[in-house]
Amino acid sequence: MASYSFEAIGTAWQIDTPVELSTDLIAAITATTDDYDLSYSRFRPDSRVRQAAGRPGLLELPASAAELGELYATLYQLTDGRMTPLVATSLEHLGYDEGYSLRPGPGYLPPPAWPDVLDWQGQRVRTKAPVLLDVGAAGKGQLVDLVAGVLAAAGLRQYTIDASGDLLTAGEQSLRVALEHPYNPAQAIGVLELRNGALCASAANRRAWGEGLHHVLDGATGRPVDKVVATWVSADRAMVADGLATALFFTDHQTLGGAFDFSSVRMFSDGRAEVSPNFEGEVFT
Amino acid sequence: MDVTFADTARRARAVRTSYAAVAGLSLLGALAGCAPEPAPASADNIQSGAPAVQVTPATGAGGAAASNAGEKYKDGTYSADGHYVSPNGTETLGVQVTLSNDVVTDLKLTSHPSNPNTKKFQGEFIGGAPALVVGKDIDSLNVSKVAGSSLSSGGFNDALARIKAVAAK
Repeated sequence: MASYSFEAIGTAWQIDTPVELSTDLIAAITATTDDYDLSYSRFRPDSRVRQAAGRPGLLELPASAAELGELYATLYQLTDGRMTPLVATSLEHLGYDEGYSLRPGPGYLPPPAWPDVLDWQGQRVRTKAPVLLDVGAAGKGQLVDLVAGVLAAAGLRQYTIDASGDLLTAGEQSLRVALEHPYNPAQAIGVLELRNGALCASAANRRAWGEGLHHVLDGATGRPVDKVVATWVSADRAMVADGLATALFFTDHQTLGGAFDFSSVRMFSDGRAEVSPNFEGEVFT
Repeated sequence: MDVTFADTARRARAVRTSYAAVAGLSLLGALAGCAPEPAPASADNIQSGAPAVQVTPATGAGGAAASNAGEKYKDGTYSADGHYVSPNGTETLGVQVTLSNDVVTDLKLTSHPSNPNTKKFQGEFIGGAPALVVGKDIDSLNVSKVAGSSLSSGGFNDALARIKAVAAK
């Protein structure tokens, strides 16, 4: 088994394959992640979303933006607007900004409503106000899928991509994965045998910079969520699993289950864990 | 990495009960006899969201424990307080782990929660989570992968590695 580790979009990645990746393949992976970063990074002044953030107008995104936009639109609807790609200003208001000032402003700033400011058609996004598009809730998952596409196109049939907890594995081997305890990284609340699919996790308390200040915001109010502390979603595709993992902070499995095929675990701040009946693993209770 | 060295005597005064070690996590600390150095306080724990734990030996450490050649860790009971940022604010969890012949034979969690939600949460956590590790060799706890939040990949194994470092002979 060979492992290739690298940094991309601000986090650590590891790709495990039966044989070492070729130089060409690594170059193709790097090009894919670089392009994604240049499109969507809200921390790079030269990214497409940042360049377009200053004024209303047309934002041209890569072709992969079409399915990302559809996913976001669906989740926006299913969560009554609570999951939205328009949280950037709300996050910045709380101090989670480009310079990581981590100094919250007064109160909370609700994000604008999607229909008021955004028209997302395929890879073209028209904005009616200066908005900074934030695809952080599903973007990393999509990039995992895109990297998987690069590997598959090169003929690889067996691989595991780990983008710091967002996992995708292909091939017949199964992967034993611990569901990390949200308050205690030395422990797991469960395990899952993952085979030919993705598992994405989201936790509210890790990227936190103060009491009650973290990066999972309620799109209805601009306030950080406080009921759900961690979620895990397994689905065929990492983009879907990643997006659903965030959506589960705002709604339940049943509400999302009509539109998506997935299994899930979510844990609340009172310690209850809700496990979907189709979850193929064990949650320790 | 938040590595905080604890002055054992000071910790002993500051912490009424021996809380413990495994919990935590980003951890680590000082063993008696390990010549703790004065440490930079890791005041940025909360900002970074990283949990911090200070580990102190409760019993058996510092050479008092029986120790067999071939074992990697000193037998004994290790304790620490873990701090974590929950949606309710910063919380503290006490953890105590007992090692015998390189096997975790006991894991106790002690809560000192500051609000009702956390109390309930920690209560259930204490009832269920220890089943995961008790009686298993530390080195056997590895899973292939860990799915946590975006900063936490490897956190599970990192934390175990740090506990191993504290307990190492």
